[in-house]
Amino acid sequence: MDWLTATEWTAVRLSLRVAFWATFVSLPLGIFVAYALARWRFPGRQMLNILVHLPLIMPPVVTGYLLLLAFGTQGPVGAFLEAQFGVTFAFRWTGAVLAAGVMAFPFMVRAVRLSIEAVDPKLEQAAATLGASRVWVFATVTLPLILPGIIAGMVLTFAKGMGEFGATITFVSNIPGQTQTIPLAIDLLLETPGGETRAARLAILSIVLAAGALALSEWLSRRVADKVARA
Amino acid sequence: MGSSLLSRCLGWALAISFGSPIAGFADDITVFAASSMTNAMAEIEQGFEDETGHDLSVSLAGSSALARQIQQGAPADVFISANPGWMDALEADGLLAPDTRFDLLGNRIVLIAHDAPAQPVKITPDLDLASLLAGGKLAMASVDAVPAGIYGKAALEHLDLWNSVAPQVVQTKNVRAALALVALGEAPFGIVYATDAAADDRVRVVGEFPQDSHPPIVYPAAGIAGGDSKAATDFITFLQSPKARAAFARQGFAVIAD
Amino acid sequence: MTVSVRLKHQLGRFTLNADFDVPPGLTVLYGRSGSGKTTVINAVAGLLRPDEGRVVVKGQTLLDSTQGVNLPPDRRGLGYIFQEGRLFPHLSVRQNLKFSRWFRKAARSDFDRVVEMLGIGHLLDRQPGALSGGEKQRVAIGRALLGDPSLILADEPLAALDDDRKAEILPYFERLRDEVSVPILYVSHSAAEVARLATTVVALQDGHVAAQGPAAEVLGDPTVTPLGARAAGAVLAARVLAHHDDGLSELDAGGVPLFLPRVPHGIGQPIRIRIAAQEVVLSRNAPQGLSALNILPGTIEHLRAGAGPGAIVSLATPAGRILARVTQRSAKAMELAQGVTCYAIVKTVAIAPEDIGGGAG
Repeated sequence: MDWLTATEWTAVRLSLRVAFWATFVSLPLGIFVAYALARWRFPGRQMLNILVHLPLIMPPVVTGYLLLLAFGTQGPVGAFLEAQFGVTFAFRWTGAVLAAGVMAFPFMVRAVRLSIEAVDPKLEQAAATLGASRVWVFATVTLPLILPGIIAGMVLTFAKGMGEFGATITFVSNIPGQTQTIPLAIDLLLETPGGETRAARLAILSIVLAAGALALSEWLSRRVADKVARA
Repeated sequence: MGSSLLSRCLGWALAISFGSPIAGFADDITVFAASSMTNAMAEIEQGFEDETGHDLSVSLAGSSALARQIQQGAPADVFISANPGWMDALEADGLLAPDTRFDLLGNRIVLIAHDAPAQPVKITPDLDLASLLAGGKLAMASVDAVPAGIYGKAALEHLDLWNSVAPQVVQTKNVRAALALVALGEAPFGIVYATDAAADDRVRVVGEFPQDSHPPIVYPAAGIAGGDSKAATDFITFLQSPKARAAFARQGFAVIAD
Repeated sequence: MTVSVRLKHQLGRFTLNADFDVPPGLTVLYGRSGSGKTTVINAVAGLLRPDEGRVVVKGQTLLDSTQGVNLPPDRRGLGYIFQEGRLFPHLSVRQNLKFSRWFRKAARSDFDRVVEMLGIGHLLDRQPGALSGGEKQRVAIGRALLGDPSLILADEPLAALDDDRKAEILPYFERLRDEVSVPILYVSHSAAEVARLATTVVALQDGHVAAQGPAAEVLGDPTVTPLGARAAGAVLAARVLAHHDDGLSELDAGGVPLFLPRVPHGIGQPIRIRIAAQEVVLSRNAPQGLSALNILPGTIEHLRAGAGPGAIVSLATPAGRILARVTQRSAKAMELAQGVTCYAIVKTVAIAPEDIGGGAG
């Protein structure tokens, strides 16, 4: 199709890939942190809450810079991961995933936490008296009831992953095929003389994709809500 | 064009989000300057405010971003670009104050490294840049949009080195970001202005690109039409004063004689 | 005893010190609101950790603070029927009932029997949100039962229901008591529930066990009034003799005929009747020409003056022990004292349907 060039299609595919993986990987950690903040009391709880929300309040470029310092090839975490597991983030799509995931994490945690707080702990108690251990209580009672919140968190993370710019470009720069997601491609096109039309086309496509994801999540949420009748 | 309204809106939205913050409208004059002038402009600002009492706000970013903002109506009084191309674009759009454009500075592009090799490198078509990189990244400003990147790519192409290193190139939003990558050691090598290399002592200049390998690097300056013309004129005059020239020279710029 | 409970726990201003056993049948933990009943039952379930305690069920130590034993609730093998039911809204009734099967082994044949006993067969594929309060509680009973528990706990399971629903559910608890061999520990502050359901009563008063024993004994003990004198009332065991055309049922209570408004039980069936002490009038002489149909002769066992103007008299009759609440003035005027014979008079219509239950006392 001539509507977009090959580079632009690459950006689209990369964006989808980055957004998907950011959502998939941050989901378990997001649920765990949300549960800890909602249900447990422990020293440093407020600190954890603030830490989770940092990407919301800091300029994205600062977050990207911190990621670069920590997860770059010279950074403590990045060097360790590369030596032990052969995993690199610097200048690779994995870094774009990390940037998107970190920036979206506050949204994921907030959405899931709100729905956990809406679950009556007495139901969890009842499940325990019926023989379910803590893990099974979570799996059979809590998890199904917080599904709407999880879906909301996933959609927000996916949308953020599709739209993340500042942290991504600061952390992993603009590399076609590896880190040039749709926002980075649009930005580059806007800075190139005569690139506005192509930028507009990419922007429209990205809006359509986001709208599609939103519609899917609304449909899923409604189906899940129907199954759970308020007792 | 049908999509021009959309692209204008996008331009504004991106300019606001991604460009350097536009200074408050209460300040006397606003200067948009290429980010490679960051260190120099600090001195210039101090000198100008001391001498004239005007209050100066400086917005530093990639010349491409700044030019776009001015095209969309950003309230700059003076623009200093890192290449003539963007100034030409503004001139063609009729956005410059008449008879205020002049060539202010020159610069060189250099190859920098995080860890200096034992001997300096001669940058010729025989240079095996790809093996020098040894799998590491070459940090450059965006080669399609930002002047430092455009010059860098032009030079590499002229020396027939571009194709061998293109896969290793990491493009950043402006030249200072490329400098930062090399300073951190994330990219072992980079191409920046000589003035940038001088500004950060965590990088070493490994070699200078021959001046004939790329179009001459010229920093034009001009007043913007509709800006504060009295104060803008004062500033432009100041830019050509001995005090300002000395400041630029200290940073490593070549000052273009009148 | 199969279940023994010993607890000590600081509850706000007073200390709870409970020590009792749970024999087979339905044991009611009876006391005023705030007397610590829910604390006790939650401690047995493992949902609350008491300051000190020891709970042993069928030879298995669930809690022993001196030994550092404290099994989490999911490993105690108990069944708990909550006041609000607490059915899982995202699972069907069938899935709710079978929930414990996912974690504990239990006989498959149980399911149909329990469903039939509770009359919930037609609800199996519904969601809890579509059930009435009474239906929810029946499912809650089934859910607790189907976990094959060694002890069933019930925390005021009828308190959240209106009178009609209560009347609807009480028979199911009677069935639970009579047809299932698992002991039940049932918390209540309703005198009527206690009278109808209890095999054994453990009376909790002022933070400690004031009395424990067979229901008739404890309820007939005038010194034990955990809910105050107004709620006092003895329980009699009787058998249905006949149903008359004028809407009355005739019962035989130890040879004494009793007349009640028509009861739903069949001829020959044993029932238990709670007679509120408030509703009993005493007479030294055999009364004549009274409208009341129930007249029981008896001998005064005990007389206890209350703090106010009232007094509780316990009377031993052929039908069983009866409590009567009279003024101290009358007691003095009538010269009521231990060993004195007199007659207890109870109006037929004063005995409410909720005071009548099936099963032996």
